[in-house]
Amino acid sequence: MNWNLIRTKVLAALLACLIVGVGGTLALMQYTFDRNAQALAGESVSGAHKLFAILEAREISKMTAVSDALIMDPEIRDAFATRDRSRLLELTAPLYSKLKSEGITNWMFHTPEPDMSVFLRLHNPAMFGDHLNRYVDKEVMRTHAVVAGNELAKAGFAVRILRPVYDARGGLIGYVEFGEELGQFIHTMKSQTGDDYGLLLGKKYVDRQFWADSNAVWKRRNNWDDNPNFVVADKTTASDSIMQFRGDLDAVPAQGRVLERFRAGDSVFIRGLFPIRDAAGNTVGAMFVVRDISGVYAAMRHAQNILVLLIVVSLTVGILLVLTLLNRLIFTRLRHITAVATRVVGGDYDSEIRVTSEDEVGQFEQLFEQFRRIFVDLLAHLPEMQEKV
Amino acid sequence: MSQLYDLKVLIENKIKADGLDAAAVKGKIGLRSGKMLAFITPSTPDDADTVAKLKLAVKEVLHINA
Repeated sequence: MNWNLIRTKVLAALLACLIVGVGGTLALMQYTFDRNAQALAGESVSGAHKLFAILEAREISKMTAVSDALIMDPEIRDAFATRDRSRLLELTAPLYSKLKSEGITNWMFHTPEPDMSVFLRLHNPAMFGDHLNRYVDKEVMRTHAVVAGNELAKAGFAVRILRPVYDARGGLIGYVEFGEELGQFIHTMKSQTGDDYGLLLGKKYVDRQFWADSNAVWKRRNNWDDNPNFVVADKTTASDSIMQFRGDLDAVPAQGRVLERFRAGDSVFIRGLFPIRDAAGNTVGAMFVVRDISGVYAAMRHAQNILVLLIVVSLTVGILLVLTLLNRLIFTRLRHITAVATRVVGGDYDSEIRVTSEDEVGQFEQLFEQFRRIFVDLLAHLPEMQEKV
Repeated sequence: MSQLYDLKVLIENKIKADGLDAAAVKGKIGLRSGKMLAFITPSTPDDADTVAKLKLAVKEVLHINA
């Protein structure tokens, strides 16, 4: 390759344009995809957060309505007031079966303060008399009004409502509590959005032994050691690998955080999480959100391939066109001028330069032809001039 | 006869022997050496620099050592 030639330089410049064009397009497409993926991830996290808040509010409203109806029942109220546990169980058990099918998994009656112990657990009637000492217990004792919020028990996380129950004369009989496991929410959320979710619980709020026992009861793998700071309480996917988060749940901002994009096999996922606070406002867990963007990714790759192909084809055609034009308009005509000049020097004084156009090269052809004629005329008169000298 | 003229004869014989385009070959040699062969006559005085340039041009164009 002769770098002195204009043709070589022009070809190199055009090839550089091709490389820059293709590289720039690839970079631009990647940048656009990254931005879109980031936006999609942000949208997934904020959408999941809103959906979770809606579900939470809906369930609180449902449990509040159930409790409203319950405390209006004089038989139940009397059984509770007289501390007749078996009668209370007999009256409420049929209703509990129905409520359980609607997602209300926890139902408890508590004695009033100062003792405030569990009087009856509909979901575990054999266990009673214990003191829970949770934030919601203290809050309902303090306010004597409906208290609602998320409360993390030893091995589970539930949204609960707790309210006082009064007798006909207005005396405090005790408290009634309903709760629904938050793990159930994620399956509803998946059915609505198609995304996958995982409920993470901060390890410092979960009892390790209780977690192991609970997993044994439910015949689940004990996943305590999977992650350093949290356990996955429930998830909508069979894959454990997509729930990856090495940070501290307490540090996740209220609006959530978008995490990195990742690949698993042929699929591309984006993920993020938002914090879940308990009734006291502590970040005890988080909702992990995973969206499969393989379709978007494939579409981007397809568009990228088409664009690259278009650029390569158009620039190749452009390069061929430019080189053809250069050849016809400049190089061929320059070669003709050079050939004629060479022949004239070699003694062929009749060779003429054809003026083929009035463009810049044509003007040069005209000038060179005039110069040739003067030169030939000079050669013809040279002997005559020498004689005069 | 000069060395320059001998070179001119050598060139013309080579062109004739190989059936080359005389004007094109002589033009190339003339442009490379800076000396028009038409101006070389038996009485043209030798000039060492011109002789060297002409020999080099002959080697480059006709690929022969003059």
